[in-house]
Amino acid sequence: MLSVEHVTKIFPNGRGIRDVTFSVRRGEVFGFLGPNGAGKSTTIRHIMGFLKPDQGSVKVCGHDTWKEQGRFQKYIGYLPGEIAFIEGMTGKAFLDFMAGMQGGVDSAWRDELIRRLQFDVRTPIRKMSKGMKQKVGIVAAFMHRPEVIILDEPTSGLDPLMQKVFIELVLEEKARGTTFLMSSHNFPEIERTCDRAAIIKDGVIIAVKDIHELQSMQRKLFEVTFESEQEVNDFMKCGLKIDSREGSRVRVAVQGDVDRFIRETARFHVRNIDVFTQNLEDIFMNYYDREGQTP
Amino acid sequence: MNMPLYRQMLAINLKMFMNYAVGSAFYILLMFWIYPGIAKNSGSLNSLIDAMPEGVGKAFGLENGFGSIGAFISGEYYGLLYLLILSIFCILVSTQLIAKLVDQGSMAYLLSAPTTRTKVALTQAAVLLSGLVLICAVTTLAGFAGYAWFIGDLADFDGTGFVLLNAGALLLFFCIGGISYLISACCNDEKRALTLSGVITIGFFSLNLIGKISGQLSWMRHISVFSLFDPGEIVGKTANWPLSVAVLAGLGAAAFAAGMIIFRKRSLPL
Ligand SMILES: Nc1ncnc2c1ncn2[C@@H]1O[C@H](COP(=O)(O)OP(=O)(O)OP(=O)(O)O)[C@@H](O)[C@H]1O
Ligand SMILES: [Mg+2]
Repeated sequence: MLSVEHVTKIFPNGRGIRDVTFSVRRGEVFGFLGPNGAGKSTTIRHIMGFLKPDQGSVKVCGHDTWKEQGRFQKYIGYLPGEIAFIEGMTGKAFLDFMAGMQGGVDSAWRDELIRRLQFDVRTPIRKMSKGMKQKVGIVAAFMHRPEVIILDEPTSGLDPLMQKVFIELVLEEKARGTTFLMSSHNFPEIERTCDRAAIIKDGVIIAVKDIHELQSMQRKLFEVTFESEQEVNDFMKCGLKIDSREGSRVRVAVQGDVDRFIRETARFHVRNIDVFTQNLEDIFMNYYDREGQTP
Repeated sequence: MNMPLYRQMLAINLKMFMNYAVGSAFYILLMFWIYPGIAKNSGSLNSLIDAMPEGVGKAFGLENGFGSIGAFISGEYYGLLYLLILSIFCILVSTQLIAKLVDQGSMAYLLSAPTTRTKVALTQAAVLLSGLVLICAVTTLAGFAGYAWFIGDLADFDGTGFVLLNAGALLLFFCIGGISYLISACCNDEKRALTLSGVITIGFFSLNLIGKISGQLSWMRHISVFSLFDPGEIVGKTANWPLSVAVLAGLGAAAFAAGMIIFRKRSLPL
């Protein structure tokens, strides 16, 4: 459906992306994770045919997006990372205009999108808040029911409620067979929607993983408070990785094997459990460090 | 051409186009209105011009004097003010139509729709040219109206000369617009595009002016496209109008084509 093959682009300042390769299957939701400046948007700009790759190519539905401009866009919906609209339009005027450029859209579906995202389309765009602009952008990316939807940091600027609405939308469209590529910093959002994800750092893809695999890489810290210190002593013999201990409270590091942790803990009287999830940045660092160690 | 884009761009810009057109029409009507008063004193004005150094009179299009309305309009409006209005129009609008959209990023939306860059570039060129044609047409009509209104019977008016004058101006700005468009298509930065086309256009304009004033520096005129539009010569029927116009059309078409090709081929930082 979408394949990025050995794309290299080095900017004059030496930054850029190197030999980026991955492919997204039909109906798949593919996440694109990486810290700031890693090259997510740069890769997406190649997919959209805005940048000319130094080497390599991108194909969408079999069309080279640099050489065959005009052929592939009809399959694509796009939400830019930094949205800019044409000046002097209202949200509605802009959506009408884009619908015209797309050759017409199902207006019932468009109205439903607007209703679900809850914003007033008649507001002039320059008076819109960041979140509102983001919503206009999301409607523009979804309204013509494209086969592939490319979203560069789709939930930036959305409040938690709207993030939830957005995730529902993605899942519904996915169920209809739409293919997605979305970049994000937000692991929970990727976790809930994606089948696979690529991790990019300093312009290089360091992993393309099944989402379950990524989840298992994510280390969680469970802070368990037991009834007595004696129980803690017994618990610590079970061989789980103990991060720290303080009286009857222990912090257990769990990576992947949650089931075993539950079974071991259940043998004792537990007063309280808190969980601390490792953030995405730490996963990168983990991954990156490990890659660095293996020659 | 992409019709939805063309319609949208016209919807956004039409008011501004009309402002230029109405401004220009108003000014030319004003010129026709004051002419009869000037014609009465044309004798003394002409001797004043004769007293000036030859180059200065030529530079400001005064060489035909104030004796006829054609000479007056060609010198006083088409020789300076109209050129400035259309220069500003070409520079601002060509920058807005491409470089600005690339700089602020909204070009990403145009290119994410099922169209090609060449079509987008062609459409934007058509918008620029539509505005130019509109201004020139309204100005020409206002000229005829002004004559009928303030001077007398249109039958006495050198209509052909006036139309050639206006068509010459249109083609000059087809060429200048093409150059500004080419620069706009090459630039990622709106300010840079604006500065570059401004400097080039004003540069051409000044070269022409200096070349006219100073006999020694007359070669300077020949590297300026403005020398291909000499209102005094057109009205005085001494210009090689078809040749000048053909060169302007050729240069303009080449600049527009180059702009489209470059825009098609380059990486855009959207
Ligand atoms: N046109 C350009 N010219 C020069 N450098 C660029 C250009 N575009 C991007 N870069 C650089 O390339 C690197 C990757 O940028 P990119 O925008 O792809 O990052 P990103 O992964 O999208 O980051 P973020 O999460 O902040 O959006 C950055 O260091 C950026 O400064
Ligand atoms: Mg980005």
